[in-house]
Amino acid sequence: MIKKNIYTISQVNSYIAQMFKSDYLLKSLLVRGEVSNCKYHSSGHIYFTLKDEKGAISCIMFASKRNGLDFTLKEGQQVILHGTVDVFVRDGKYQIYAEEILLDGQGDLHEKYEKLKEELEEMGMFDQTYKQNIPRYIERLGVVTAQTGAAIQDIIQIVTRRNPYVQIILYPAIVQGEQAVPSIVEGIRQLEASKVDTLIVGRGGGSIEDLWAFNEREVVQAIFDCRIPIISAVGHETDTTLADYVADLRAPTPSAAAELAVYDYEELEERLDSYRIMVTRGIKRKLDMTRQEVERRKFRLVQISPTNRLREQKMYMLRLEELLDTKMKQVLTDKQHALSILIERMKGLSPLEKLGQGYGYLSSKDGQAMKDIKQVSVGDEVCIHMVNGEIEAKVLKKKSVKRG
Amino acid sequence: MGTKKMEKITIEVIFEQIEEVIDQLEDSEVTLEDSFKSYQEGMKLLKQCNDKIDRIEKEMIVLSQVGEDNE
Repeated sequence: MIKKNIYTISQVNSYIAQMFKSDYLLKSLLVRGEVSNCKYHSSGHIYFTLKDEKGAISCIMFASKRNGLDFTLKEGQQVILHGTVDVFVRDGKYQIYAEEILLDGQGDLHEKYEKLKEELEEMGMFDQTYKQNIPRYIERLGVVTAQTGAAIQDIIQIVTRRNPYVQIILYPAIVQGEQAVPSIVEGIRQLEASKVDTLIVGRGGGSIEDLWAFNEREVVQAIFDCRIPIISAVGHETDTTLADYVADLRAPTPSAAAELAVYDYEELEERLDSYRIMVTRGIKRKLDMTRQEVERRKFRLVQISPTNRLREQKMYMLRLEELLDTKMKQVLTDKQHALSILIERMKGLSPLEKLGQGYGYLSSKDGQAMKDIKQVSVGDEVCIHMVNGEIEAKVLKKKSVKRG
Repeated sequence: MGTKKMEKITIEVIFEQIEEVIDQLEDSEVTLEDSFKSYQEGMKLLKQCNDKIDRIEKEMIVLSQVGEDNE
């Protein structure tokens, strides 16, 4: 043995460590395996072994890297680990320094989603017939979401603006990671029991893994079973989870869910006012109509009253009297007229007229008119009447003459 | 039972009833007595609706996660 170069253990280990550090692959790699010997140290570091059928490797996740793990690491879990392989110089031991650990199978999330969706759809869980109506006027709004998330802030803001009188009851749920499913389910059950009017279940945006709890069967079932109407509000408009399909109403965002759940107070006041006006106007119109009806009846009653009939008859009588008078006067005038015509005609026929034309007539002494020669004898005294006097005469001779 | 049922009536239901009352008031065949009844009913419903709206601004209630119903 040539004792040319003798190194210390730490020199060897450091050298090896150097080799590891210069290796491109070991700086960042993904390893799949099963978790065993898992220990959570009080310092916050997690020590465990990753193994498969053919081998095992020690792993450590430092407390400073814990945000790369969103579930509780347990024995037997199949995981995919992202990290660096490095040497622990003191012990001459290489191990994986984990940066991020995911449950294995999450790569197949999309496939899992489609499969469960199809199954639930076939069961009829997304059927419109099961959808409950979202009540319009509510007093109590239940919210299942993270207490510290943006979703609840958005909801509070919208509700306060639209209607500050609505009571929000929040169940502070864990919305991602391993605890999310039981937490969301518990939240739905508790709020159902506390008799809210409507429930919003959701969270703000995130990756498909972040939203995953809303694709789990238990959550979907809890939403389906809940007898209080549920509005889902998961992530952004483009994210559609199975919770959205099963919910009674899907809102694209938590803000939109709040708009849908809570009525606008001003609008309600306006509606109340308009109802008040309509009801008052209705009875006023009815009263007016009735008053008019009363007036009409009153008028008719006055018309058929005895006083009124008496007055009418009196007036009729006066009219008749007047008519009679007029008619009578008319008759008199007519008769007078006829009389004057007769007088004129009589004048034409008067014998005195004839006397005026040079004729005279003969009468006996005692005034008897003589019309025939036989009425007189010779020697009789007669009287001749002229227009302006009488002549006494004695018949001297008589002779009959045939005229004509 | 009766009063309990009254408490459960929602504003929506009250609005439906008010609309019925308005329809009755607009019906010229209805007698004046019935119209007065409708009017009184309408006013009562409006008051009921008004009373139902609890105009007190609310602070959010946060339930405990332990699972007790702290209502």
